[in-house]
Amino acid sequence: MVTASEADQKLVQRAQRGDLRAFDLLVLKYQGRISALVSRYISDPGEVEDVTQEAFIKAYRALERFRGDSAFYTWLYRIAANAAKNYLVAKGRRPRSDASIEDAEAFDEFGLSSDSGSPEAIAMGNELVSVVDAAMQALPEELRAALTLRELEGLSYDDIAEVLGCPVGTVRSRIFRAREAIDERVREQIGGGSGFR
Amino acid sequence: MTTRDKDKEALSALMDGESQELELRRSLDSVEDDDALRAWWSRQQQVSEILQSQRSSQTGLDVSAKVRSTLASQPQFQRNPLWSMAIAASVTLAVVMGGQALLPTADLAPAPLVSDIGGAVVPVIGAQPIRASFDARPVPVSTQPPQAQGTGARQTAAAYERLARDRYLRLGAQHARAAALNHPAPFVHSMRAQTEPPLEVQDLK
Repeated sequence: MVTASEADQKLVQRAQRGDLRAFDLLVLKYQGRISALVSRYISDPGEVEDVTQEAFIKAYRALERFRGDSAFYTWLYRIAANAAKNYLVAKGRRPRSDASIEDAEAFDEFGLSSDSGSPEAIAMGNELVSVVDAAMQALPEELRAALTLRELEGLSYDDIAEVLGCPVGTVRSRIFRAREAIDERVREQIGGGSGFR
Repeated sequence: MTTRDKDKEALSALMDGESQELELRRSLDSVEDDDALRAWWSRQQQVSEILQSQRSSQTGLDVSAKVRSTLASQPQFQRNPLWSMAIAASVTLAVVMGGQALLPTADLAPAPLVSDIGGAVVPVIGAQPIRASFDARPVPVSTQPPQAQGTGARQTAAAYERLARDRYLRLGAQHARAAALNHPAPFVHSMRAQTEPPLEVQDLK
């Protein structure tokens, strides 16, 4: 089984060696969740953006000290939560709510995130969920099986190849084609920005 | 497959932690100045999060209390303790009788022997000493000096033998009665009881 932290490992290692492109992919991956986390402390969207940006910059500067004792997202989550709290302290304000580190750990282990955004984001998220569900159901069986085993069961490509009785290269290709098909449907119905949040 | 598709497939593998080092470098090169690829990567993260949020978690089902109560209410298979008592009595009897057979009596105690050809013989309880012989056949050695094997000694030995046999029969009968009474199957009790003369026969005697 490949967890989120294991999937991040290669990008994190390269980012630790100063590869900004690798860190950029990590930012793209986690910016939605981190900004949702920050918005639980801070209501102003402009401030949320500032604090989210600051959190990533702090994370990059501290990346050298990241030893991998916890998952990258858990570590990033702590930095972002502290950044939001410190921001409010500096402004002499109280947080809207508090967030627990269990949320981050639950995400890393189960892919679940309780981070909620604005009502618009929630509505957009709900729409996205239904579009993704419909796209998933419309996939050819062989593509759906491969993507389900990867995303829902968390199996590695080797394990999926064994389950499906096909070469690893075929698994890789099927998973990509499934993702591409879902993306195409999402872009048709929601739009093709860099994010839907 | 186009170059763009290859780039996307490589990013897809990278998402899953299945990208090789060389491929990772190529992916980073391709994504660096390509906003469309960066957007694709970003969207895929969100789709992945949605799919993963549908992972079934454990149901929280706990059947342990019901299993425990069900098992507690059912009769348990237990070995009847009378069986082990009967077995213990048999073993005890065997040990007692066997031990008595091996115990030396005063008259029959083996005495150190001196071979008539000059070799020493070490006495062993319950074993028949053998004298070394220079021909093909071993020669048994008597455990009694010739002068001790008189008529009186033989009579004493015969008396002890009768006493031992009587005691053996008495203990055997006692054990059979006890085992039959304690046996969980009544018909076995009856069968054991038949080993003794019926009551009316005993009365007639």
